[in-house]
Order: sequence, then structure tokens, then C-alpha cells
Amino acid sequence: MNPALAVDARGVTKTFGSVRAVDDISVQVAAGEVYGVLGPNGAGKTTFLRMLFGLIRPDSGTIRVFGRTWDEAGVEVLDGVAGFIESPRFYPYLTGRANLAGLTLLDGGTPPGLLEEVLDVVEMSDRADQLVGGYSYGMRQRLGVAASLLREPRLLVLDEPANGLDPAGIRDMRALVKRLAGRGLTVLLSSHDMEEVEEICDNVTIMTRGTVAFHGSIAELRTRAPDPGHALATTDDDRALALGAEHPRISVTRDPEGALAVTGPPAAVSSYVGALVRADVGLLAFTPAHTPLEALFFMLTDDPTHQSLHRPDRVRVAAR
Amino acid sequence: MRRTVLSVLVALVAVVLLSSAVLARGGTSTVTRPRLERSLSATFANLYVQQSHVLGRHDLTPDSLHARAMCDKHGPDVADVGPGGDWVCLVGWDDPKQPLPPEGYGKFELNVHSNDCYTVSGPSKLTGFLTITDTAGKEVTNPVFEFDGCFDPAGDDSPTGVEFPSLLSLTSTGLTPDDQGRVGVQVSCGPGSDGCSGTMVATAAGHRLGQAPFDVAEQSTSTITFPTAVPPGAGEVSFEVTTTTGIGPTSPASIDVQESTATAGAAAPVE
Amino acid sequence: MTAVQTSADARAVEPAPAPRRRPSALAALRWEVRKLRAQRRAKAVLLVALVAPAVIVVVIHGQSRPPKDTLFGRFATENGFALSLLVLGFASQWVLPLLTSIVAGDLFASEDQHGTWKTVLTRSTSRSRLFWAKTATAVGFAALVLLVLAASTIVSSLLAVGHQPLTGLTGQTVPAADALRLVAVAWATMLPPTLAFTGVAILLSVWSRNPAVGIAAPVVLGMVMQLVGALGGVEALRPLLVTTSFESWHGLFTQPVFTGPLLDGLLVSAAWCGFTLATAFVLLRRRDITGG
Repeated sequence: MNPALAVDARGVTKTFGSVRAVDDISVQVAAGEVYGVLGPNGAGKTTFLRMLFGLIRPDSGTIRVFGRTWDEAGVEVLDGVAGFIESPRFYPYLTGRANLAGLTLLDGGTPPGLLEEVLDVVEMSDRADQLVGGYSYGMRQRLGVAASLLREPRLLVLDEPANGLDPAGIRDMRALVKRLAGRGLTVLLSSHDMEEVEEICDNVTIMTRGTVAFHGSIAELRTRAPDPGHALATTDDDRALALGAEHPRISVTRDPEGALAVTGPPAAVSSYVGALVRADVGLLAFTPAHTPLEALFFMLTDDPTHQSLHRPDRVRVAAR
Repeated sequence: MRRTVLSVLVALVAVVLLSSAVLARGGTSTVTRPRLERSLSATFANLYVQQSHVLGRHDLTPDSLHARAMCDKHGPDVADVGPGGDWVCLVGWDDPKQPLPPEGYGKFELNVHSNDCYTVSGPSKLTGFLTITDTAGKEVTNPVFEFDGCFDPAGDDSPTGVEFPSLLSLTSTGLTPDDQGRVGVQVSCGPGSDGCSGTMVATAAGHRLGQAPFDVAEQSTSTITFPTAVPPGAGEVSFEVTTTTGIGPTSPASIDVQESTATAGAAAPVE
Repeated sequence: MTAVQTSADARAVEPAPAPRRRPSALAALRWEVRKLRAQRRAKAVLLVALVAPAVIVVVIHGQSRPPKDTLFGRFATENGFALSLLVLGFASQWVLPLLTSIVAGDLFASEDQHGTWKTVLTRSTSRSRLFWAKTATAVGFAALVLLVLAASTIVSSLLAVGHQPLTGLTGQTVPAADALRLVAVAWATMLPPTLAFTGVAILLSVWSRNPAVGIAAPVVLGMVMQLVGALGGVEALRPLLVTTSFESWHGLFTQPVFTGPLLDGLLVSAAWCGFTLATAFVLLRRRDITGG
């Protein structure tokens, strides 16, 4: 039991009926880091976070939060832990302020002035006296963050915090998470957006269909990323295909929708593009298909055998 | 799916537990004859005294009335246990200023509910109708005409030993001789212990039509025929009842003979 | 969220040690009561319990033919105590189960309805504490609404009809002072069976997660129990039904007074309460909160 670990989950499994929502997951989150749990919808991220909060009881395995399990300490496991699962829900017939005041009752009280402070941080001070029933999605999300900050947490657990927000809201949420992380808070967040995780997280676990597809740092992830290729649109796609066949180190393919894609080492791709120009084939578009990490993410989460986890040389690249 | 299976299991367990509780207790009702008899006599006594106060009398107390009741549920063939609207109670009491009829009781009808409470309708001839006139001349509700009572489900269940004889009454309003000229009279034996038995002598126009024995169970009717034909021209037949069990009319009763050729006579009261 | 809060940032660069928060035993109860007071339903029910008996009293008093099919109904137009007992008999049929279910049947299921289980269960209050706080709120409300109903009925009956001596269930005359005391006690005996229905409503609220079921099903159950209790032939079942306890006050008005059914009713109601609350507690403790 490593005291420096904020979260230490080992061998956690949960089955609902015939569906294995979480299958032998192990996750370690060190104190002070920002950790991402990444995966497509249905991967088991939310189920895992619910187990961390004690909302769901795991079938097997242990989850230690700051060294304590639910069986040992009960609800005291959540000392210093705060966050929300999916979209935060409040009592619609009470105001935002009344909701937060009630939650402080359940917490055993808060330092005076903290409630107003957290409302200020999430910029909800002027809307706090409206009934929550009239709040927009973004307002409820912000109130959820305020409710979390009320607990003065050491560990903040956020389930898809940017989900459903407009671009401005997403930007603000990411900035807030970075700021809180800068204060030394441990943040565990789940997401299905690789770009978001890449931007704010130190370490990441990628989950798919209830199992772990990758553990490690963002840097490590980047080294494994394959070349995702470029999407190509020309004035003469057939000619471009023929030219591509003449360049052995690259591959030009046409997908079922008729769009072209080019993959290969950057030097060879540049020389191919030069050849296109010399052949008077007009370039209409030449854009990166995905970011490298996004490509890796899709590959990892589509790959049922998870060969990518331990054998980098067996990472599949686009077929030649 | 699991929730449904679980709920069905819980329901099954509950049913099994309840059934065993039901079976274990044997399923006897708390409504029994002795409890009704004790409760009814006490309640009637209090209300009768209340009525007497309304009427301006102050000589009666519930104890001085010595009210006593004999109850029966739906005839001799049904056990005297359980709720129902077919309970009949015979109640006797001692009121020096208002003596009871010869049989010594009034007949009360009870509707007994499963919650150990009952509603009573009393005999109007003895206890009065819906309203009575008080000493000030005002019409007030008669407390004894119709009333409610409740008894203790754990009350004394030992038999009270109160028994009243059955009352035999002649119920034919007219007699029709058969083709041989003989008549039969319908009798009804009311509730009470042991039914009605004895002999009846019929006389018509001075001639004795015979002596017929009868043995009628309580709460049932019967027809008693006489062997001798009615003499022609006799307008009515007179019956004299001698009972060995039960009580019959104390004076002879006369009933008209229905014959198309007979002269209609004044109808004699049937007691 | 773009403004930098210098005071907040300056407060701590390192994570603060985990605050040791122990909510008081009554904190969750205060919260539940606060939520109840903010909703219209509790106030509406109390208002109805205050006003409806007065209306009923006036209506019955104005009738020329009193309702004879209920105990004391035949005296209801002439005797204020009898009228309050008539209303008592009527209320115990379906009104009391409904009055308690409206709050108790909603307390748990509304969390499912609003999706707030995940909000309240991720604070520093355990599921057990929340369960007992909600149960205590339901019990307190049931007692309060019964008190309001009883007081309103007795006061309006006495004002409308008067305080004449009452004819008891053994034909005896009960003086007004004794009658008042007995009527108050009779209303008080409604509490244990009402609380049994509170337990049923709580169990259904936890099990079904649907406020409509939690509110309506106990009332239906009460009516079914009454029907079964009135049947002949199933006498052994009668003592086990909650609705039988609603009639245990009859013994207060006989001569001599008998209290056997009162004690039986208390035990049966306590058993129903215990069973329903224990089952509800276990269900809630073991539930996986997968939805809101």
C-alpha cells in the first residue's frame, strides 16, 4: 500500500447481468498528478468511477483511495475526495445556493465564506438564487464543480467534465482543471476526447470494452503513435492513385466513400506530392487525417487483442 | 430479470408464512354465542334504562332488569360462531310496569361484523319504534329501537346457560279443505331451545276434528292435518294447543274456512 | 471562469490536508426537513388535514339522516364526540394511509426521479444515516399530520354539534369530560397503524424507485386489507392485517373497557414497521447506483 498513491485500484471487476462492464482493471494515480481515463462510450470508465465513489460495489478487486477501502472506512474514504459522475444533478425546486448549503450540511459544514468563494470561482454568484430547475446544462455543470470545490478536495474526480458544453465552456473547464492541478490537487478525469486528455493529463489509462488497453504517460503514448496519414483530394484521383503505385515507400488508398488517403514516411510523402504537382494533378486538399494520438487511440480501442499494449513492433499500420 | 425473480420469491415466502399462520391458528372466529349474549344483555339493559329516563321513569336500573339473552345463528343446523346478518337473539328482562308476553322474551335481530361489533334491531311491539316522545313532548330518537354494540374478542366464552322456549304460532290465514273435507293448519316454530312439540285439538262447529301431535324443529314451519273432515257449513275451525316443549298460543285460535259456498265470517285473530 | 482568483491561489500551493468532516447525527435530518419544507406537497397535505375535517363536519351536521352504517354514525348529528369518532372511522379507511404515503412514498423515490442519489451519496454522510434521516422525517410528518387531523376534527365537531354525553358501545352513558379524553386517546391509537403504512410506503419507495408507486400502492394495499378483514372465513388473517389495528379503539368505549386489541394492534404495527424498514434498509444499502 503506497501512501503516495491517491487512487490504487487492483483487479476490479463488475458484471451487470451478462455484460462485463469492468474486467480486471488496475489503475494507480499518484498524488499530485493529473490522470486521464480515456475510452469510447461504454468502455466502463463511468462504472469504474462510480465504484471509486462507492455508488457501485465491485464484484472483486480492491479500490484504495488515499490508502483506505470502502470496506475498512465506509464513507470516510471520501474525505478529501470530490467530483461528479456524468452530468451533475441537483434538486430543481431549490436554488443553487440552497442546494450547495444542503450539501455542506451533509459534509458536516464548511469554513465560513467558502460557499460564496466557490460560487465566485465558477462564476455563478449572480445565478445562485435562481431555482436549479431553470438552469441550463452548462450552469448545472458549473454548479457541480462548485459543489466539488466546497469539499476542499485533495482528489478531484471528474466524469467527462467537458461533455455537453459549448466551445467556450469547454475552454473554461480545461483552464479550471489546469489551474486546480497547478495548486497541487490530484485530478482524475475521464474522457472520450484524446485531444483533451493530451492537453491536460500527465498519465493516462485507455479502456475499451471494460479492459485496459494502455497504461502510461502521454509521452510514452506519443512514441507509439503511428503515422495516421493524410487525407488527399485532387482534381484527378485516378491519376493520383496510379502515381502512388509508382512510389514504393508510400501507400495511396481509396476508402469506400471515394476519398484518398496517403500514408508513409514524411520524406516519401513529400516526394509523392511533388510528383503529383509535376504531373499537373491539382491538389485540392492535403490534411492530416487525425492527430497521431487520436489515431493510436482509435487503433487501440478497435483492437480486441490489445497487442499494442506490450509489443510495439506489432502495432498494425495501414496495409500496404 | 433478477428483480422479478426476487420479487416472486419474496411474495411466495410471504404467502407461505401467512398460510402457516392462518393454519396454525385454526381459523376460528372471535364472534361466539356467549360473547354476544353477554354483550347484548348488558347493552340492552343500559339502553332500556336510558329509554325509561327519557319517558320520565326513574325506577329501573340495569341490574334490576336482569336482562338475559339467548343467541342463535341461522337455525339449529348452523354453528353459532362467526359474523353474519342472520343472528337472532331472544332477550328477556324484568320490568314490573311492562311485563313481557307469555313466552318471556323479545326477539332481536343482529347483524354481527367481523370486527366484533354488531347492529341490533329490536322488537317494536316491546321496545318501541324509531322515535319516542319525551316528558317535554318532543320527539326524540328511541335508543332501543336500533343500536350498536361491541364486545371483547377475548371476553368470557363460557356458555351463559340462558335458554328460552320456542314460540309456536299458527300462520294460516285461511283453511282450505281438501277433496275429502280435511284441513291442515300451517304452524311456525320460532327460535329457542328444543323446538316445539305437543298436541293440537281442532274443533269445528262443535265437532272435534281430532287431536294431532306435532314436533317442529325450531326456526322451521310445518303443516298439521286433522283426520276428520270439516262438517259442511262450518265457518271456522278452532285450534287448542298443548305444548310439551316450547310455548304455544294460550287461548284457542280460530281460522276461517275458505270455501266458495261458505258464508264469510268475521276473521278471527290468529295469535 | 477566466478571472484569476488571487486570494484562492495564494491560499495554498500544496494540497491542504484532508479536512476531517464528521456531520452531526442530526445534520442529514435537518437537510431532509429543509427539503420537505421547500416543497409544496407537505404544506398542501397539512392544509388539507386542517381544513377538510371542518368541511366534513359541517356537511354531516347538515344532513337530516345520519350515516348509520358506521359506528357512532347514528349519533353524529346530535353528539359532537360521536361525530369526531365517525370521521375517525372514515379516515382510517384510506385517508390515513394516503396522508402518510404522500410524503413517505416520495422521500426515496424522488431521489431516483431527480437523479440526485449520486449527488448526496458522494458527500460525507453514509447511506445508513441518509436512510434514517429520511425515515425519521417520514415518521415525524405522519405524527404531525395525524395530530392536525385529530385536533381539527375534534375541535370542529365540538363547535358544530356540541359536547353532549355520549352513548358508549355497551349502551352506557359517558360524561362529556370522559368522552373527550377517550376520543383523544382513540385518535392517538391511530398512530401505530399509520406508521406501519409509513413503513410500507418507504419500502415501496425504495424498491420501485417510482414516486407514484410509493404513494398509491400503500393506499391500495390498505383497501385490500380492509376487504380481506371484513370477509368471514379468513379470521386467522385478521389479526395480522394493519387495518385491524385501526379499529382497536372500540374497546375504549365499552363497559368494561378492554384493551386486548390495542396491544395486539401495537405489536402487529410494530412488526410491520420493523419488517418493512429493515427490508428497505437492506435494499438501499446493497443497491448499485447506476443511473442518476
